Order: sequence, then structure tokens, then C-alpha cells
Amino acid sequence: MKEGFRQAMAWLHTWAGLIFGWLLFAIFLTGTLAYFKDEISHWMQPEIPARSVTSEASLTVAQNYLQQHAGGASRWLIDLPDAREPGLSVRWQQTPAKRGERGQFTEKLLDPQTGAEVQGRATTGGEFFYRFHFQLQMPYPWGRWLSTIAAMVMFVALISGIITHKKIFKDFFTFRPRKGQRSWLDGHNAVGVLVLPFHLMITYSSLVIFMSMVMPASILAAYNGDARAFYDEVFPASTAPERADKPAQLAPLAPLLEKAREQWSGGRVGRLTVNNPGDANASVVLVRDGADRVVHDFGSAVTFNGVTGQLLGTTPEQSLPRAIAGSFYGLHMGHFAGPVLRWLYFICGLAGTAMIGTGLVIWLGKRQLKHAKSAVMPFELRLVEVLNIASMSGLMVAVAAFFWANRVLPVDMAGRADWEVNSFFIVWGLSVLHAMVRRGRTAWIEQLALVALLFGAMPLLNAMTTPYHLGVTLAQGDWAMAGFDLTCLGSGVFFAWAAWKMQRSGQARIVIRQRAQPITLEREAN
Amino acid sequence: MLLSLLLCYGGFTALCLSMDRHHAELLGGKPTTRRRRLLKLGGWLLLVLSLWAAVSSTGWGLGLVEWCAVLMLSALLLVLLMPYRPRLALSIAALSLLVSPVAAFAQY
Repeated sequence: MKEGFRQAMAWLHTWAGLIFGWLLFAIFLTGTLAYFKDEISHWMQPEIPARSVTSEASLTVAQNYLQQHAGGASRWLIDLPDAREPGLSVRWQQTPAKRGERGQFTEKLLDPQTGAEVQGRATTGGEFFYRFHFQLQMPYPWGRWLSTIAAMVMFVALISGIITHKKIFKDFFTFRPRKGQRSWLDGHNAVGVLVLPFHLMITYSSLVIFMSMVMPASILAAYNGDARAFYDEVFPASTAPERADKPAQLAPLAPLLEKAREQWSGGRVGRLTVNNPGDANASVVLVRDGADRVVHDFGSAVTFNGVTGQLLGTTPEQSLPRAIAGSFYGLHMGHFAGPVLRWLYFICGLAGTAMIGTGLVIWLGKRQLKHAKSAVMPFELRLVEVLNIASMSGLMVAVAAFFWANRVLPVDMAGRADWEVNSFFIVWGLSVLHAMVRRGRTAWIEQLALVALLFGAMPLLNAMTTPYHLGVTLAQGDWAMAGFDLTCLGSGVFFAWAAWKMQRSGQARIVIRQRAQPITLEREAN
Repeated sequence: MLLSLLLCYGGFTALCLSMDRHHAELLGGKPTTRRRRLLKLGGWLLLVLSLWAAVSSTGWGLGLVEWCAVLMLSALLLVLLMPYRPRLALSIAALSLLVSPVAAFAQY
């Protein structure tokens, strides 16, 4: 009975893992990259300078700019720069939007030091990986549904994997390299078990994030089918006051930052909304930046009178259920993580990606052994092989191509941001074709070598196409830019090693086969 | 975070050495029952200490997250290092235990 249960779980693990493995690999890899979304965006828009100025100074710059260029607007939105996002973004809306609609905003990026407008090249930047991670480049809501289903399958695969794995504690520290299939299985188990807390957290929290989409029944039942009423209650929108149509001087905004900090015992302001600037009924809403705590707070804000600077109101403390949901959200996104912890998140994400990748390799390797002697592989195994190659090394080539497109495409090209994304998918598609044409191992080696070349040459490409090369960025201490280049160089070296390793083990196998053949021939002769 | 990383790595190495197979690989021979027990106890103690180090420096919320991250990283590092550079894996453990009082001193 016990063995039967374990076998059933092993079957579930094998097939759930195979069917969704390719998709999960892509979701995990892009999600891992999304931990450095701001740094990637910074590299992809190098024109936006990284400055270290106080929030007060950049807010004064923003206020001066908006008073000159958008004095009569009905609403301003100011996003303050932080250590990771260097741009000071200002947006304004000439006429108020109708209820339930998003208004038309004009957006400008400013240099927080000089107040001059900055024009970054058109790109989706790191946002592309973040969006792809849960929307899969599909129209709303299909991508979200598919990625949520994938998350559920991931959860099933994790649980069934734990049950299938017989000796978790006995094999806890075991990894035996250079033993073929054995090593792959060891590696799969090691990254699976050692990073298990991360895997469980990330998979479960992704289901919590999309819970209202997956299980809307409780909301619909409690609010008589009106989901909008639920959201109005959970996210009380800051309603804009009516215009008094009496002009009044807007108070300086910078001192309000200190007042907000007092309210939040040191919490940072992330965004400001100014309603009716220049009117007697002006109000300023300061929204807290969630990056200073693990438990994400959905829109904690304080409101001030825009003319007198008097405190008008604060949002209430969040309730326990929302704090729990917020902590899962916060843990998944990792906004709170400093540089060291962010790197640890990144490594954990890579470990998860590696776990899925090794699982796919094991599935194929086990079945290939049976057909090792025959020259042709059955169609289904060949299909899995092609998909394995394209979904793993092909995806890496596509990621590298996305970064290359950012530097190679002309800066003033029309539809530039779209073409960056297109080149990602075109290259990914080409990798499928390549995997179909070439034999399995050769395809792996060639694609890995290409990835190594593309990533390894990234600092060189950056130096040739922009003035922000490693010599400059390291000297300036612009760690996001320099870190990107260095990480690319490092991954280039790693992929070169992987390609070399693959080629060598391929040759070793041929030698063994050639040695084995005469023996069998001799036996047959006898 | 550094202190709890050092303690975690030391703790995992001790736990690893308390298992017959790994003890034979790394130090040669089977450990005596007494030694196995000591290593096991010491390993768990170090892990608990590292939790305390993480929580006491940044509070429960962030401390627990950091501790989990450090826990996973140190175990991963040890497991990947052992088959390739067993001596290095052991010397890092010894070094991290030696350095940890200094790190503790720097933290407080």
C-alpha cells in the first residue's frame, strides 16, 4: 500500500513535471531576472543618470518643473527616485478623469539634480521579464491563468517530489558529480531539498497573489456578486476634492516628507499625488514606499492640505488578513531586500530554475538509455529533446538577444521597444528550428557556445555602443551598470564551461563506445 | 547577516560530519558514537545561534527571511564544494567558526 502510494506520486511528479516543465523553466528564469528589474532597466536606459540627491531636493526640483509646465493641471503625480530607480518621474493630468476610468497623463523624466528633462531610449527594460513572468506575453487574462495553473502544477510537483524522494535526510548533503544520470538526479535532489523553503514560499505566495482570480467564490458570495464593491472596500481610493476655483499658492512640498516620515516612524515616501495644484482646495497625498518592510502594505498614505500644509488624514493600520496576504506578496516580490539579500533571492531563483532544468534532463536521459543502441530515437523522445534544448539554452540565447537588441537597434527607430521584444521571440523561435535540424548534443553545444559568446561579449558591446563602459561605471561607483556588465561576463564564462564540458563528455562517450565495440565483435566471433 | 552566515555554514558542516558516510569521505574512518553525538549537538546549536544572530540584528520579520536565505545558501555552498574541494570546504568551516567571534564583536 505504502509503495503503491509512493509510485503513484512518482508518476504524478514525472508527468506533471514534464508537461509544465518547459513553461515553468521560462517562468522561473524570467522571474529570477525580474529581481533585478530596476537594475536591468537602468542598463537598458543608460541615458538616465544615477544621482545621489535627497528626496527633498528632488521633490523641490519636481515641484518647480511642474509649476512651470503644468500649473493649471488638475492632478500631478510625482514618483521619487530611490537607490534602485534613478529617474525622477513626473506626470500630470489636464482634466479630471471620469469615475472608474484612468485619466490621460503626460509623463516626463527629470534629472533629479538639474531638473532638466531626460530622454531615455524607448525600451521595456526589466519590466519585460517581470511582465512575461506572469502574463507570458498573452492577452489578458489568459497569460495570468496559464501561469497560475503552472504555479499550481509546480506546487503539486513539489509535494509529490518530496513524497517520492525516499531519503531526504540521509542524502541531505549528497552530490556525486561525474557519474552521469546519478549526478543529474543528485543535483536535482540537492537543489530541490536545500532550497525547498524558497520553492514552497515562492509557489504558494504566487497562488496567494492571484487568489481573487483563482477563487473568486468567497468574494462574490459576500458581496452579492459585485466584486467591485469588494475592491472599493479593500483599497479605499483617495477621492479628489472639488475645485474651489479660487487661486492659492501651493505650499512647498519638501517639508511634508519629514512630516510623513514621523507618521510612519521613518518609512520612506514613494509617490506623491497633488490634487488641484494652485487652487484653494489643493490636497497632497503621500504614499509610502513599500520597500522598507517585509510585509507589503497596499497603499499606506497620509493626506495634507496643499495650501496650509495641515494634516488631513491617514489610512488606517492594515488588518491581520491583509497583513498576511501582504507578507506573502512582500516575500514573493522581495522589494524590501537590500543588495546582499537581493543576490540571495537571485541565487535561490537560479536554483529553482536549475531544479526544473535538471528534472527535464533526467526525464529524457532515463528513456534515452533504452534506445542508446538504436540509431534513431522514437518521435516522442526526439520531441522532448528539441523542446528541452529550445526551452533551456534557446531561452538563454533569446535573453541575450534581447539585451543585444537594446544596444544594436538605432536609438531613434520607430517602435523600438516593440522590436526589442520581437527580437527576443524571433531568436527563441530560431532556436527551436536549430534544435530540430541539428542532433541533440551538437545542438546543445552550439547553443550554449552562442549564449557564452553573446553574454561574454556584452561588456564589450556596451563599451562600443555607449560611453558607459566598465572603466567609467566602476570609477563612478554606478554598481547597477557595472554589476550588469560583470554578471554578463560571469555568465558568459559559466556557459562556455558548460559547452566545453558537454563536448568533452560527448567525446568520452564515443571513445567508450569504440572501445566497447571490438569486445562485442570478438565475442560474436568466438 | 555575516555572523549568521558563518554560524550556519559551521553548523551544517558539523551536521554533515556527524553522518558516517561524509565523515569517512572528509576525515577518513567512522566517527565514534560520542563524537557523532557531539557533532550533531554542536551543529544544531550553531544553527540555533545563527537564527538568534539574524533575528537580534534586524528583528523578527527581516531576520527570519535573512536566516532562511543564509540557511539555504550555506547548505548549497557546502554541498557543491564538498565533492570538488573537500579540504577547502572543511577549512572554510573552521575559518568561519574562528572568525565568527570577530563578526559578533563587530555586530554589537
